[in-house]
Amino acid sequence: MAAASSSSSAAMFFGVREEGQNQLQMNQEQHSLATPTSSTPPTSASQTSKKKRNLPGTPSKLQIVCFSHYSVNFFDPDAVVIALSPKTLMATNRFICEVCNKGFQREQNLQLHRRGHNLPWKLRQKTTKEVKRKVYLCPEPSCVHHDPSRALGDLTGVKKHYSRKHGEKKWKCDKCSKRYAVQSDWKAHSKTCGTREYRCDCGTLFSRRDSFITHRAFCDALAQESARHPTNVNTIGSPLYGNSNIGIGLSQVGSHLSSLQDHRPHSSASDILRLGGASRSTLPQFDHHLLPSSSISSSLRPQQPIQSSAFYIPEANQDYHDVPNKQLHGLMHLPDLQSNPTPPSAANLFNLSFFSNSNANNSAINAHSNADNENSSSSLLFSSQFTNGSVMSESLFSTSIQQESMVPPQMSATALLQKAVQLGSTTSNNNNGGAAASASLLRGFGSTSSCNPKSANHSFGGFLGENENNLQDLMNSLACGNSSIFTTFGGNNEQGTDYGGFNIKRTGFDEGHKQQQIATAGVGGSDRLTRDFLGVGEIVRSMSGGFSQRDRQQSGLDPMSSLDSEDNSAPRF
Amino acid sequence: MAGLIQEENSSSITSPPVHFFHMMSLSPGLGSPYPWLRELKSEERGLYLIRLLLACANHVAACSVENANISLEHISHLASPEGDAMQRIAAYFTEALAHRMLKGWSGLYRALNSTKISSSSERIMAQRLFFELCPFLKLSYVITNQAIMEAMEGEKVVHIIDLFSFEPAQWINLMQLLSTRPEGPPHLIITGIHEQKEVLDQMAARLTEEAENLDIPFQFNPIVSKLENLNVGSLRVRMGEALAISSVLQLHSLLAADDDMLRRNSPSSSMNSSSTPLSRILPVNPRTLGEFLKKDFAILPSPSSDSASPSSPFSLAQSPKMGSFLNALWGLSPKLMVVTEQESDHNASSLMDRVVEALKFYAALFDCLESTVTQAHTERQKVEKMLFGEEIKNIIACEGPERKERHEKLEKWILRLELAGFGRVPLSYNGMLQAKRLLSYGYDGYNIKDENGCLFICWQDCPLFSVSAWRFRRYE
Repeated sequence: MAAASSSSSAAMFFGVREEGQNQLQMNQEQHSLATPTSSTPPTSASQTSKKKRNLPGTPSKLQIVCFSHYSVNFFDPDAVVIALSPKTLMATNRFICEVCNKGFQREQNLQLHRRGHNLPWKLRQKTTKEVKRKVYLCPEPSCVHHDPSRALGDLTGVKKHYSRKHGEKKWKCDKCSKRYAVQSDWKAHSKTCGTREYRCDCGTLFSRRDSFITHRAFCDALAQESARHPTNVNTIGSPLYGNSNIGIGLSQVGSHLSSLQDHRPHSSASDILRLGGASRSTLPQFDHHLLPSSSISSSLRPQQPIQSSAFYIPEANQDYHDVPNKQLHGLMHLPDLQSNPTPPSAANLFNLSFFSNSNANNSAINAHSNADNENSSSSLLFSSQFTNGSVMSESLFSTSIQQESMVPPQMSATALLQKAVQLGSTTSNNNNGGAAASASLLRGFGSTSSCNPKSANHSFGGFLGENENNLQDLMNSLACGNSSIFTTFGGNNEQGTDYGGFNIKRTGFDEGHKQQQIATAGVGGSDRLTRDFLGVGEIVRSMSGGFSQRDRQQSGLDPMSSLDSEDNSAPRF
Repeated sequence: MAGLIQEENSSSITSPPVHFFHMMSLSPGLGSPYPWLRELKSEERGLYLIRLLLACANHVAACSVENANISLEHISHLASPEGDAMQRIAAYFTEALAHRMLKGWSGLYRALNSTKISSSSERIMAQRLFFELCPFLKLSYVITNQAIMEAMEGEKVVHIIDLFSFEPAQWINLMQLLSTRPEGPPHLIITGIHEQKEVLDQMAARLTEEAENLDIPFQFNPIVSKLENLNVGSLRVRMGEALAISSVLQLHSLLAADDDMLRRNSPSSSMNSSSTPLSRILPVNPRTLGEFLKKDFAILPSPSSDSASPSSPFSLAQSPKMGSFLNALWGLSPKLMVVTEQESDHNASSLMDRVVEALKFYAALFDCLESTVTQAHTERQKVEKMLFGEEIKNIIACEGPERKERHEKLEKWILRLELAGFGRVPLSYNGMLQAKRLLSYGYDGYNIKDENGCLFICWQDCPLFSVSAWRFRRYE
């Protein structure tokens, strides 16, 4: 193995010289190392390699610096120090056969393989000259082994060192959650984990004494401190935030829901029925405990989206005292928004909700008939909108968005700030081109997020007639799972994002007005050349823009027009 | 709500949006719930809140009370201390902005706060929770301890000055490390500074107990004092003691200064007028300071040179307190000083700058708190209200000597500490490894970054705290 690796790296080395033009890329550290002190042939190669630089973006396969007589190693001053880039180091099969694309870790093996293809091959004979020992540097500049004097002796060693110390820990022990970067470490640990370990009172397991000690310093203190301050614990939580049953009830619902998420459309109908029953059984709890819902519900909100959907339900209850049906629907529509919608499933779902919902109104029927004609995503969307009570439809829809965009159930504050910054800068590049398209998009957006079924109904015709594609895009973007109703709109028209909530209000205006408004707003954008930080000026201006439009029509809303007046003072940063 | 129900019964098709306009145009004073605002999705609402907050801050900065009031009214319909992260942030920011406005009417302000119970114990509890819930302090401790271990290798007597002594865990951890030293544990002296005697008593008891367990000769000197009133001369550091200073999120408070006064004062009078307890105390070490001033020219952030050039290139040390404090510490010739500070710029003179910076910083903090604390909701809220909320309030609502939360970025600290005569000690790779190991115990999303031997503790990619190590550097 030693022979193989040494000869292969020699081959690598020569490979470098041959392909130096497109393969070599040296970073500064390597340069600084490159103070060749000898006159033996390889240095010339290292010098060529120094001169040739990669164009940015071209993939570099090899990054090698070689010094033949660089006295670094105490034991073997003649050892060759090799610095590999992280990529090269971690590449598993760098040597690719051009015929069958099979990859090999070693040049020699590729050459052997090439023989099988009857391709020209060249195996390097073990030279009669003494083979220079090779030592390897860790590519991480901050690492002690980046220093040639502490180079590591073999390639596999460096690889493991690099992944252990500087790499991602991909392997996680199921028992103790300890993570490992090298699979073999993980395997070794898995064998012993739980057999010979240090267990902290807090339940964490350690297989190594030193980690255990580090942990205990804090954990110990932690236990002491929390014993001293027992008030911290959830004891406060329950009396304040009501019955713990609530939590249980919700999590039950949640688990039902999550089990539903996996169902295919056809089987989902029956499940939904069952779910309806299940949810009904939990309802009394909502009734009793959740009615003063504001505090409780928000306490639940940061949790998973499923719970947040449950959260919206009590709010609806509060408003309408129409618990069972709302509940049922709230639950019912999750699966269809989750699963890949196909027309039959949408229809099924719709029927189901229709028949079981005593509340179903005419618009629901309309939507239903439309749903048959239109493509599935739109019917889906509308069924969810119409079959539910007005507040419900909104909350449901937003829930579904949260579901789709998943992982962080709501956008983090940091992300929101970044978005605000982005919006600030994108709006400054605003052009008027997309005004018409954006108008229609806005309408679509408005109706989907409108909380009133009738306003949705109003825009329904135009919506489907003109903007089916947009809608589909919208749905796609939702299904894609990125958080992005906003991105979609942002891409087409920043106005949509800029106004956010205000668009909703605009939806119901008659077409002419709307177009006009948006067009004006769009044109207004052309003077936005200031690129201010966080887009404050932008924000204020767009806000005031939106409102002043309305202002003129409604002559209400003094507060916002006062923002308008601040317009110029706004961009302070 | 009444409006909505009515809406449901109405058969009009086009009216709903118009109806909303009516609702919007209602006078905000009626406390109408603006149902549409309630129904905004989290993301929309967040973006909207950011907008409103900045607009509101603009009004406050411009002292336009009417407009600010209207903005606050709007925000109040969206923000909530119990909502999503942005709603909560907005709640604390509006509170801070409102405080700032109210301070204009000192009578009102005082009356409103006249019965307020000073909640230092609550704050301590919030700090403890912050320590427990977030890894930041633990990381800072681990890194500090590692640096101490390395600097104190072979030392027989180790003296540590803890500028904010509230958490025994750091020193328990150090004791455990020291007890495993190959050369045996040193004699350990810890001088703990805190304004609450009880806290120090707890510390003493806990640490003594642990030292006995580990069989380390140990001594704890409690010093009950606020940092700004600290008499550095009272810190008895004897010959032969290897001194380490640990400052975790403390130094910035010494930047607090009467900005107006500094601006007003002529260079000559500044020394007298700004004589705080500390600067009175400082000449305790007159020789060092004197020598220092003689040798080291005008650029030193000493009280006199400092206010003499308020418009100096680095508007670094507007604070005489800071300069003299650092000089005094320098006079103790510490072998090591580890400084952890918030990596953020909350010391700008313009309110808007501070609001924006604070928004960025606390957004990240709220996020990581939320992602780390999934269970104990009330605990999170306590940290948010009593720690973050108070800091935000201080950054935004206070000015002059009252404004203590003057977080500054590491680059400024480096300049300042170097000017004060400290030399930088690169933190070792080991410190980083220890920190990363701590993070591997179930802290996701956090990160440690090394930059020229200083470490940044990051949430995702955003550096939130910096840790740097220093040592006494002799002037030759």
